[in-house]
Amino acid sequence: MAEAVLDSAVHAADDDHGHSTGTGISNNKLAMWVFLGSECLLFGGLISTYLLYRHNIQDGPGPSEEFFDIPFTSASSFVLLMSSLTMVLAHYAAERGDNRKLKIWLLTTALLGSVFVAGQIYEFTVFVEEGLGWSTSPFSSAFYALTGFHGVHVTIGIIMLLSTFISAVRGRMHPGNAETVEIVGLYWHFVDIVWVFIFTVIYLAA
Amino acid sequence: MTEPTNHRSFGDSVTREGSNKLAVDSTPRHTRRMRRTAVTGFVGLTLLLAGCAGDAELDTLEPQGPDARTIDNFSNWLFIASFVVFFIIIGLSAGVAMKNRVKGDYEEGDWPEQVHGNNKAEIAWTALPAILMIAIAAFTVITLFDLNNDESNAYAVSVDGETMQWEPHVVVVGHQWWWEYRYYFDGFDVDAFLDEGHANPAKHLPEADIVTSGQMIIPAGQEIELSVTSRDVIHSHWIPALNGKRDAVPGRISPWKLEADEPGYYFGQCTEFCGLSHARMRMQTIALDDADFAAWVANQTSAAPLSGEDAAYVAALQAGEIPENPTEAQRGLDLLRSQCSGCHLIEGVNDDIWTQEGTEINLSAGAAPNLTHLASRSTFAGGIFPMYNKDGSLNQNALEAWLRDPAAVKANNADNRQGMPNLGLSEAQIDDLVAALALLGEKPEQWIITESFSE
Amino acid sequence: MAIIENPLELESGTVVEVAERPLGALTRPSGNTGWASWLFTVDHKRIGIMYGAFAMFFFLIGGLEALAIRLQLAVPNGKILSPEVYNQVFTMHGVTMIFLVIMPLAAAFANYLLPLQIGARDVAFPRMNALSLWVFVAGGFFLCSSLFIGGWFKNVPNGGWFNYAPNSGTLFSPTQGIDFYAVGLQILGIASLVSAINLIVTTLNMRAEGMTLMRMPVLTWMLLVVQFLLLFALPVITVALFLLMFDRLWGANFFNVEMGADPLLWQHLFWIFGHPEVYILILPSFGIISEVIPVFSRKPIFGYSFMVGSGIAIGFLGWGVWAHHMFVSGLGPISVAAFSVSTMMIAVPTGVKILNWVATMWGGKIRLTTAMLFAVGVVSMFTIGGLSGVTHSVSVADTQQTDTYYIVAHFHYVIFGGALLGIFSGFYFWWPKMFGYKLNEKWGKWNFWLQIVGFNLTFGPMHILGLQGMSRRIDSYDPGYGFETWNLVSSIGSFVIFFGVLIFIINIFVSKKQAEHLPPVGPDPWDARSLEWMTASPTPEHNFDEDIVVDSLDHFWHQKYGYDDDGNVVRIAYAEDVAQDGSNDNVHLPSPSYWPLVLSAGLPFIGYGVIYNYWLCAIGGFLVLGAIFGWIFEPPDDPDGGHGHHDDHGDDGDGHSADSSDADDSAEKTDDDLVSVGADTAEAGDAATTETTATAGEADNG
Repeated sequence: MAEAVLDSAVHAADDDHGHSTGTGISNNKLAMWVFLGSECLLFGGLISTYLLYRHNIQDGPGPSEEFFDIPFTSASSFVLLMSSLTMVLAHYAAERGDNRKLKIWLLTTALLGSVFVAGQIYEFTVFVEEGLGWSTSPFSSAFYALTGFHGVHVTIGIIMLLSTFISAVRGRMHPGNAETVEIVGLYWHFVDIVWVFIFTVIYLAA
Repeated sequence: MTEPTNHRSFGDSVTREGSNKLAVDSTPRHTRRMRRTAVTGFVGLTLLLAGCAGDAELDTLEPQGPDARTIDNFSNWLFIASFVVFFIIIGLSAGVAMKNRVKGDYEEGDWPEQVHGNNKAEIAWTALPAILMIAIAAFTVITLFDLNNDESNAYAVSVDGETMQWEPHVVVVGHQWWWEYRYYFDGFDVDAFLDEGHANPAKHLPEADIVTSGQMIIPAGQEIELSVTSRDVIHSHWIPALNGKRDAVPGRISPWKLEADEPGYYFGQCTEFCGLSHARMRMQTIALDDADFAAWVANQTSAAPLSGEDAAYVAALQAGEIPENPTEAQRGLDLLRSQCSGCHLIEGVNDDIWTQEGTEINLSAGAAPNLTHLASRSTFAGGIFPMYNKDGSLNQNALEAWLRDPAAVKANNADNRQGMPNLGLSEAQIDDLVAALALLGEKPEQWIITESFSE
Repeated sequence: MAIIENPLELESGTVVEVAERPLGALTRPSGNTGWASWLFTVDHKRIGIMYGAFAMFFFLIGGLEALAIRLQLAVPNGKILSPEVYNQVFTMHGVTMIFLVIMPLAAAFANYLLPLQIGARDVAFPRMNALSLWVFVAGGFFLCSSLFIGGWFKNVPNGGWFNYAPNSGTLFSPTQGIDFYAVGLQILGIASLVSAINLIVTTLNMRAEGMTLMRMPVLTWMLLVVQFLLLFALPVITVALFLLMFDRLWGANFFNVEMGADPLLWQHLFWIFGHPEVYILILPSFGIISEVIPVFSRKPIFGYSFMVGSGIAIGFLGWGVWAHHMFVSGLGPISVAAFSVSTMMIAVPTGVKILNWVATMWGGKIRLTTAMLFAVGVVSMFTIGGLSGVTHSVSVADTQQTDTYYIVAHFHYVIFGGALLGIFSGFYFWWPKMFGYKLNEKWGKWNFWLQIVGFNLTFGPMHILGLQGMSRRIDSYDPGYGFETWNLVSSIGSFVIFFGVLIFIINIFVSKKQAEHLPPVGPDPWDARSLEWMTASPTPEHNFDEDIVVDSLDHFWHQKYGYDDDGNVVRIAYAEDVAQDGSNDNVHLPSPSYWPLVLSAGLPFIGYGVIYNYWLCAIGGFLVLGAIFGWIFEPPDDPDGGHGHHDDHGDDGDGHSADSSDADDSAEKTDDDLVSVGADTAEAGDAATTETTATAGEADNG
């Protein structure tokens, strides 16, 4: 379509703000919202599966206060929740065009996320040593599937944050595309909120 | 729903092959009906439906017990209501389409009145179906709970001279591809059993007074509670004449019930897809009058019904001796012990060497039919082959074919521990085995044998 | 990464030569002729047509499977197929017809028509649109490859489309067949999910000026409802398929009864997806005939808001009824009663729809064109399916009916009589818009009558067979149960259907040949009502020469007709005068792209890899990641970006991925070719450019 040249006259009428979308939300942001709606059902399915098999522990360990290290997981959950705060700060910085703060907060968010994922991996190794393998029981399979799916989501969020961070380092971020940060933030907050549910269902209900 | 279907009118004397031929002979009528359908379209469809009564063994419209009758009565009203709505809609849509039809292209300016809608009408035809559906829903819920109500009925059963008050109840266990029926005359507490917390409870069922397979024998006129479960995959237990179906879900024990008005022979078919031989997983329920049922119980609760000499022969085998000059049947008993004990329990024949653990190694279901009273059943191999010919003689051909290569007559996947393997028996061994199997239990009454054929 | 930045430096209006870009692999494909123009297209119309073409190909496969089933069951003790092959064939028939035929045929109409009907120039994310097409094709061929991989009929899914656990476990189904099912449906799920997000955003955001929600055609509405159903239903089946895959490939315990698992988990997850799926299949057809019936009755749709409302109601209620598939699985009477009642309530909005269609025809001037015949066929055939549906919403009656041929009859009346006949109606109706010529009416009528008669011959008798006690999914039956006659009738009927479909295919070619001697069909051959008829036929690549400003429902019709003082309809303009002629070639359009195709090609490798050898996953992963990389760094399609006007349309461009489970989803958020009629395309391209460049930077000096 190399020869396709814009006939600005044709479009002059809508040239004012260009984005007269039906909802007033940009396509990208709306797509993310819609996608997150779909994700709710994904985690809904996984959480339901976990709830069904919560007490189905066969001969393996079960979800008990003794088995879980609740203070440890609470700490890593706190880290993850704090990352939502830093994400908000990053978005705020992006909207003001404060590139320095944007970089700081994006990186902090990614780091906090990484700490959380590292904590999960550590926790998994401890559980496996204590006899809770992937195939130990329906409970163990459901536990690893649910937390694992969430962990992968966090990891992808971290990759997104780092991509945005690198863009910022390269000086490509400006208030005009602050929405990029906002969309990453939507995803990130979603993953955090899901963790609140997962933490409640798995650890607090133990 | 009264027009009898012609292909149901074969006499009892017609053989299976004969019925095929007759079915072909009756083609003209079928073609006629097809043509009628083709010509009359929707109306023809109705006629097709009208032809659906008849006395097919699995017919859902021929209830023979109170539960099935409750369903049937309800269904009849539903069908009538459906037909009424169907004719209204078809009449309206086809009628309007024909009546308002314009041939060829529209002419300029040929426009009907532009009606955009009519709120009153639309509210009316939202409300009308809603009212109709609420009425149906109310009846559904009432009938549903009615059907789920168990009446408690004590039924006297005599086992080993001891009379027990049995609340008629049978544990129904599905397997690839046959059904097991277990009778606990002193009661079976499902909840207490489930509380034991077995991973696959059906593999841990307690010992029963009677374990039979393929055919469930019940007293007529009694409500029988069923506890339906499975040892491998999901099956569904269905005796259409007596009640609807209930899935046999492994890991669960689901309650169900059925009742037959009269003594009789009622066909069933597994209705939940359960793998390779789903089509050939059948079962029958035979309702007996009180005397026959008592006799059956007495028979089944006795030890293996071997005669004195044969019993002595087996006892010798069990003692590790090798008696001389065995009869054909005795050689067969020997083979039963050596060839069949990996899976089949035959009390009085191989209960010394058969083990549950061995069966679980050999079969994914962890169970094979208990053959102790095999010959007292009128079908074998998952209720699909008649054990006896119509004249009452042993169905040698079917038994031999089965022993020769089970998978050839009923598809299975024995390599994957699903179904009976080919034992590689010689013809002589097969003859011996058939002779031995014929010893296992008393032949059922002739009417049961006659009814076993699906014509 | 100078190649990215080049366009930024260009003045508006400058033509960018592809050859100027230093890295060939990262240029965009060019040219709009030949096969490459189809492979790399991002044009929603071509994508729609390809959806249709591939779906018809799969339709032939699924149809042959159906014929094999009917041949096997024509007489007792059929020997055409072995039991194992029979199980494979009926499984593949179901999976093929649902996932590879009806859903993509609906997607074909959705892709082609939805942007046109709302007056948009393309969908919100054109490359994502191409991605969903090719992922569907990849998934379809992946699934069908199970037919011959490792030998013919060795590794074919054999657990039924519903694939109940634990029969689907390795213990009972040790071949790779069910792995193909689990992985294949995941791939197809990605396609549908991407497409759903895309079309939802398109419908909500890209409507022409004045095209309020309640001015959208009923078809657009139904498609929107369907996309929401897909959006929420697909993740549930995704979970189920993941759990199944974990069980089969990596020894998890979700469905392993020996470890205490509950097989009903699968049933719940499957039907929470599976029941909305039924409405996913049927609602597009409802939408299609809601377009066709008014046109050929010369009346507006009766009760537009009720039609829309009932469609939405069906969509909502569809979520609360899944357990009616499980009435006999031992749920307990209270659940059964609740689901029984909720299921009956769906009959209400469905009944409203049927009566509104009839009311639309009432007092109309009806032309029984083939499209209209098919539409009336849907009204009557679906009614039968709906009524039999009511009989088994009554859980009590359902205990006799479920898993018998009565059910087979029911859902074929819904899916064939409802969905497929509606789609055929759509074929005849929109064929001139898509291809510029009408399908021949005479052949069309043969097509219709053979199909409707064959259909009733095939599936009508199944009601009887079911009530006579014939179980579903049995590979053969013995004589003597009364099944012989109707099975034979049914089998004969299936061949009549086959000839009906054959005539449709012949009709395509015959009509094309005849069209050479006929005058062009013009923009509006049927005197229709919605916006797609306001542009030339076949639709020009840019859809509309000028943006349309919509001022009413049936905007196009109101451009053509008005009322005189007595309320009679009078013509105020001819279609040719109102419609656009497609001559404006100065419209910016998104450029084609290699990457959707490349990305999709990687998925089957990952699929085979998961099943057979993880090294294949590496190849597939390389393709997918490479494609995502290429996608992100692809030069923007708009040559005159860079004038610094920032726009919300701008793409995030840095691969915000959103879904851990689907690697390619990371691509879906990177789509930068956003074009909207209402929006300044230059800006869209501009924002995309800046965004893309922003990310490009990371690789730039790296």
